[in-house]
Amino acid sequence: MTPPVLELDHVTKTYPGDPPLEVLHAVNLAIEEGELVAVVGPSGSGKSTLLSIMGTLDRPTSGTVRVTGIDIAGLEDRQLSALRATRIGFVFQQFFLSEHESVLDNVAEGLLYAGVPRWERQQRAAEALDRVGLGHRTQHRPTKISGGERQRVAIARALAGRPAIVLADEPTGNLDSSSGAAIVAMLEELNDDGATIVVITHDHDVAACFPRRIEILDGSIVGER
Amino acid sequence: MSAEVLMPARLRFGDMARVASVGVRTRRVRAALSALGIAIGVAAMVAVLGLSASSQAGLLAEIDKLGTNLLTVANGTTVLGRNQELPLAAPAMIRRVAPVTAVADTGRVDVNAYRSPLIPSIHTNALDVQAAALNLLPTVGTTVAEGRWLNAATATKPVCVLGAAAAQRLGIDLVLPGERIWIEHRWFYVVGILEPAVLVPQIDASILVGYPAAATYLSFDGHPTEIYVRSVTDQTAAVHDVLGATANPAHPDGVKVSKPSDALVARAQAKGALTGLFLGLGAVALLVGGVGVANIMVISVLERRSEIGLRRALGATKGQIRAQFLSEAVLLSVAGGATGVGLGVAATAVYASTKHWAIAVPTLAWAGGLGAALAIGAVAGLLPALRAARLSPTDALRTV
Ligand SMILES: Nc1ncnc2c1ncn2[C@@H]1O[C@H](COP(=O)(O)OP(=O)(O)OP(=O)(O)O)[C@@H](O)[C@H]1O
Ligand SMILES: [Mg+2]
Repeated sequence: MTPPVLELDHVTKTYPGDPPLEVLHAVNLAIEEGELVAVVGPSGSGKSTLLSIMGTLDRPTSGTVRVTGIDIAGLEDRQLSALRATRIGFVFQQFFLSEHESVLDNVAEGLLYAGVPRWERQQRAAEALDRVGLGHRTQHRPTKISGGERQRVAIARALAGRPAIVLADEPTGNLDSSSGAAIVAMLEELNDDGATIVVITHDHDVAACFPRRIEILDGSIVGER
Repeated sequence: MSAEVLMPARLRFGDMARVASVGVRTRRVRAALSALGIAIGVAAMVAVLGLSASSQAGLLAEIDKLGTNLLTVANGTTVLGRNQELPLAAPAMIRRVAPVTAVADTGRVDVNAYRSPLIPSIHTNALDVQAAALNLLPTVGTTVAEGRWLNAATATKPVCVLGAAAAQRLGIDLVLPGERIWIEHRWFYVVGILEPAVLVPQIDASILVGYPAAATYLSFDGHPTEIYVRSVTDQTAAVHDVLGATANPAHPDGVKVSKPSDALVARAQAKGALTGLFLGLGAVALLVGGVGVANIMVISVLERRSEIGLRRALGATKGQIRAQFLSEAVLLSVAGGATGVGLGVAATAVYASTKHWAIAVPTLAWAGGLGAALAIGAVAGLLPALRAARLSPTDALRTV
């Protein structure tokens, strides 16, 4: 049997300070291949902290994180980078697109650190843009397209490398409700095609669209539906 | 899949260059201004070195044109410190040496010359009165600026020709009919003024009269004090070696033989030392330019936190972030350096062509300029690059 794509075992996170602040308390979580999951909770409940740890951008204070079965505790920083480059895709609330480069080049940048040659990056970026329905806007600058389209570009960038898991932090946070709904619908479609996706949101209406919902409150998982 | 296969991919050179140029491409004015500082510094240094090399090349070319085959034989001193006079026959003997093509001699006459009898006798103006052979001018490589040179007839009369400096000191710049000067209680008529003799400046401060006239009117004993010798160019060294013995077989050690072009070449080369100050100013400008680049890089890292965070999320290692910012600084600085070399060479070319010099930019100047720019970029970028790499991905991404 293949291991879960992502597995958190008694993960805690304490931010240093006086007094130290424990923002995650013994979180247990497993995401299987092909799942579409929402992590929902109010502001300050520790969702972004959880996403950073799931995405190996940060290490847990204690507990175990396994990505595609690999325990990240044993990895050096450069190995974590390689893990992110090949197996994890990120989508952020602020999109983080470069205004000075075309939509295509922005998406292609997602494959840069996986060592894909430039021509192949461009080709796969074009395919990813097709998948999110932006195949006709590849040469536009991000400033010339709408917020919803920008987020689709960011999703294409996360998907271009066909990662084992895509982590999205408030992907609809900067969008109006109809654009947000379109993004959610798109994520469902991509999930149908086989992508494993975790979405973090504070919005219960958004979360309601997802087949699996994990509720988090004050750093603990309080329910799952 | 195991952890062992997790090795970060190396960026290809083209990708590295693209990533390094992100900051330059997205903030062009700022990049151009910070590179400008480096450009000014490098341009100043290249121009200073280029101008000094070009002027040197110009001087050397001029010396070459005057001829490097002129040798001077002068009377030296005896072991006892007395003047060792050259024999009367010395010029004729030298003329017999095979590769010698021309010989002209002058003999110093121990008298002073004045503008008029009214000038107090201590005001000698440091002028020499010399008897001169009639073929002196072509031999030393100068010509008449005003009037005429001596001929067989005037060489026997109280008639003189002034060296360029002598004319100036006497206040005579035109040869008017009846112009005369006072030498040894007698008027000598001025018939000509010479152009400066670059190879033998001692002619410039001289008043030249014919050998017969010197003997008749100035009781000159006829011993030459300087003999100018032209020879076949590639035999000059050989001629140099035999001149002492030829000129004065009895006392070859009491003869001083020199090659005037050598002294000029040495002087032209020593002139380079004067450029040190300007070079220093260029170096200061370059240093200030380096501080500018460092400043821009620090700001760039602060502003581009979210880009750094994103790249880390996309899988960039710390080393790749460090390399990105380091090479951006080097790129800025080297672009400035290359512009500076271009400007410096252009300035040299423009100035040298107005002076009709050959354009000479030493390799040290342009290679050194580029090298200095590269080193300064690396130093300026190091700290900001280390900072960028140290930034934790979560901190970098939290910035809005
Ligand atoms: N680097 C840090 N140092 C100290 N405390 C932190 C740090 N990052 C987050 N926190 C704290 O941890 C708690 C959880 O933060 P987190 O950003 O994970 O919440 P969130 O659920 O994503 O909230 P939001 O919906 O507002 O984005 C907050 O109380 C926050 O102040
Ligand atoms: Mg958050």
